[in-house]
Amino acid sequence: MMGYSMELALRGLRRYPKTTALAVLTVAIGLAASMTTMALLHMLSADPLPGRSRHLYLAWVDAVQAKPQTYSSLAGMTLSDYKRLKMPDAEALMQARRATMQTVVADVNVLVQGDREGQFSEELLATSSDFIPMFGVSMRDGRSWTAAEDASRAPVAVIDSRLAQQLFGTASAVGRVVRIKNRDFRVIGVSQPYLLQPHFYGLYEWSFSGSSRESIFVPYGAAVDAGLGSSSTDGCDDATEKSRRYIQVDPVHCEWLALWVRLDTPQDVAAYRDFLEHYARQQPLGSSGKKPQSLLVSVQQWLTLQNVIPDNVRLNVWLAGSFLLLCMVNVAGLLAAKFMRRGAEVGIRRALGASRRAVMLHHLLEAGMVSLLGGVLAWPLTLLGLALLRMQEQGFTDLARLDVAMFAGLFALALAVGVLVGLLPSWRVAMVQPGLQVKSA
Amino acid sequence: MRIILASLRRHSLMPALVLLQVALACAILCNVFFLAWQRLQPMLAPSGVDADNLILVDNLAAQGRTFTAAESVAGEAALRAVPGVRAASSGFGLPMVNIASIIINLQGPTHAAVGVNAFFGKGLVQTLGLQLVAGRDFLPSEYRPWGLGASNGSNSDWDTGVTQPVIITQSLADKLFGAAPAVGEHLDDPDDKQGHGYQVVGVVKHLLRNELGLATDGRADYTVLLARNIGNTTMLSYAVRVNPAMRDVALQGVKKAIKHQFAAATAGGPQARVQTYLEKRKDAFKDTRAALWLLLGMVLAIVIVTLVGIMGLTGFWVQRRTRQIGIRRALGARRAHVLRYFLMENLLIVGTGVAIGMVLAYAGNVLLMHYYELPHLPWTYLPVGGAVMLAIGQVGVLAPALRAAAVPPVVATRSV
Repeated sequence: MMGYSMELALRGLRRYPKTTALAVLTVAIGLAASMTTMALLHMLSADPLPGRSRHLYLAWVDAVQAKPQTYSSLAGMTLSDYKRLKMPDAEALMQARRATMQTVVADVNVLVQGDREGQFSEELLATSSDFIPMFGVSMRDGRSWTAAEDASRAPVAVIDSRLAQQLFGTASAVGRVVRIKNRDFRVIGVSQPYLLQPHFYGLYEWSFSGSSRESIFVPYGAAVDAGLGSSSTDGCDDATEKSRRYIQVDPVHCEWLALWVRLDTPQDVAAYRDFLEHYARQQPLGSSGKKPQSLLVSVQQWLTLQNVIPDNVRLNVWLAGSFLLLCMVNVAGLLAAKFMRRGAEVGIRRALGASRRAVMLHHLLEAGMVSLLGGVLAWPLTLLGLALLRMQEQGFTDLARLDVAMFAGLFALALAVGVLVGLLPSWRVAMVQPGLQVKSA
Repeated sequence: MRIILASLRRHSLMPALVLLQVALACAILCNVFFLAWQRLQPMLAPSGVDADNLILVDNLAAQGRTFTAAESVAGEAALRAVPGVRAASSGFGLPMVNIASIIINLQGPTHAAVGVNAFFGKGLVQTLGLQLVAGRDFLPSEYRPWGLGASNGSNSDWDTGVTQPVIITQSLADKLFGAAPAVGEHLDDPDDKQGHGYQVVGVVKHLLRNELGLATDGRADYTVLLARNIGNTTMLSYAVRVNPAMRDVALQGVKKAIKHQFAAATAGGPQARVQTYLEKRKDAFKDTRAALWLLLGMVLAIVIVTLVGIMGLTGFWVQRRTRQIGIRRALGARRAHVLRYFLMENLLIVGTGVAIGMVLAYAGNVLLMHYYELPHLPWTYLPVGGAVMLAIGQVGVLAPALRAAAVPPVVATRSV
């Protein structure tokens, strides 16, 4: 019976080809709109560091000795707070070594020069020795620096192969010297280009980008010695005149280093949380009237907290989803009209003994095929939609691609749409009374 | 009318599908219109400035030190010396210069305005080409020093120790003082109870704020000017107004003057930016334009899909009733009657769909508001979406209805 129904369905598709084409096109447009927006959302919410990110946590305690700022209203604006630390607190927490691994990070924009003429504007990551193994930066050549070099504030640098090529004309740059802000840093290692999406450990610089990356890694102590201060901060002590500068950040009295720790078990996480709370309680905040505060969040929690995925992307998924619903109702209507046109024919089939089930099956198959064809057509349309998105240069739109999972999702969605869309018209046509239709034919 | 209803009751599937489609389309359309209007408002808001003849210089960052007030003034002088330049001001918070912005709250006698963008600088009314509608510009004696070097601690530049003169926009004046004249009135800062507040000395017609995302719902002109001389800052920016006849020459001149004046101080730092106001505006609205194109595409797709749906369904439904039409024609109904009958029928179905759609639109907006920072959907959007749907319905039914009206009476006799 299945084969026969299939044959009938195929024949049915070819009758009234205009209606069929219209239905297929409508399904395709609806599916493509939904898939385009969902593929972008899927890409943006992907794990930035699969396998590693679930053990990484951002640690923060409030150690800023300043009166909390109060505003009667910010009128819809949110003050960004990236939960960074002042250098003395970051060092104290790091040196306690309570986690399996720990590192501080800060992004700095710098001009660098190698052997050749000309300076390049590059993004530098001031960090500590654990970063490279902890965040899985893969080394091509040489080594990363040690905890001892962190302590001695050694002017060493790890650069990525692309920058090495730019500065020295070769990727094997170990032993060369790179000049950053009139200070020499010895290159001790060359890494592969490192680019995480989203850039979760430095959201104050960018969150998603197709082009920005940190191409130089140096010990944070050496960076401070070279005057490579961060240009952004989450807050400063009221204490000194120096801490009041907005654009040049005082490394001792302002929060500019983010502390990331690796914690392998839930027990470790709980223990570390206690440790942070204890540290927070020891802060002399009493004079400013603040309560002790600390925070320990996983990568996923951090991304949610910072609302990293633009609202627009989710909003568009909603819009496209409701548009797909509209397309489905539309196709259900088109199919109902198409099926009811053959009321007479169905009447004859019923009179000759075809069961309601057989009629229903035939029409459901036909509806399913319309949707599958729509799904096939939606594929290039989705690729087109994603290409249009990529042209928008909004940073995150560079990531708009269709992966295997989403491709499978597209076909699952097309099938589900087909069955849902076909149910009502097929049921209606299966209800045709044999006698009446024959008479009027 | 009774005939229409009776016929609708007997064949309920087709009208039900049309109705559902219209309701859904109406709900989506209302929300899309609303989202588009939220995006469009900042683009349509008047800037208030002499947009065609304005050049902006920013990203001047001193390396390892701060600029002094004297350097800030020297920069102004160098820019004024450029042929074709009419006025130049060192400012902080200049139109479309979005490095950092100062937001203040203002409390008037009865009403408050929160989240007001403050622009600082000397002679900005003149340089930006703002239109004063009441009061006066700042007097030279009223300017006080201010810079980014110091924050608002107790001894900083922010507190001048006296009531600060302020120039507000017309829409702020309306918001804070209603119909009463604003000039000469006092305003408080609700966040700084010990502060000395502000005194309104002038009102300008328009001045678009820098936070373009907040320039909606009448807040586009939430901008004030404060009488401050820029100094003690690591970042400088300039507004330059040029002679329209010498625009290109002046732009080149400004670039050269900036390079000459600041190359030494900014060496090793980021590159200075010299752009026209229009270029900056175009960049600032790039995302908005992309989003609007997307929403426009959405509207088109909805309209087309709905139109095709209505045409397809009514076409079939009319065809089903060819014999009835023939009978009615044979019994003396005129073509116009048949035409009017189908148009009325469509109006009834689509109207019901629109009514349901409006409720759905509202529900959808409440849902979106729950998840995203979106204002309430004003009820005025509902009839707009409804009217569009009714028009689509009538257009969609026109062709099938005309075909129905063309059915000759003889059809009724033939097929019985």
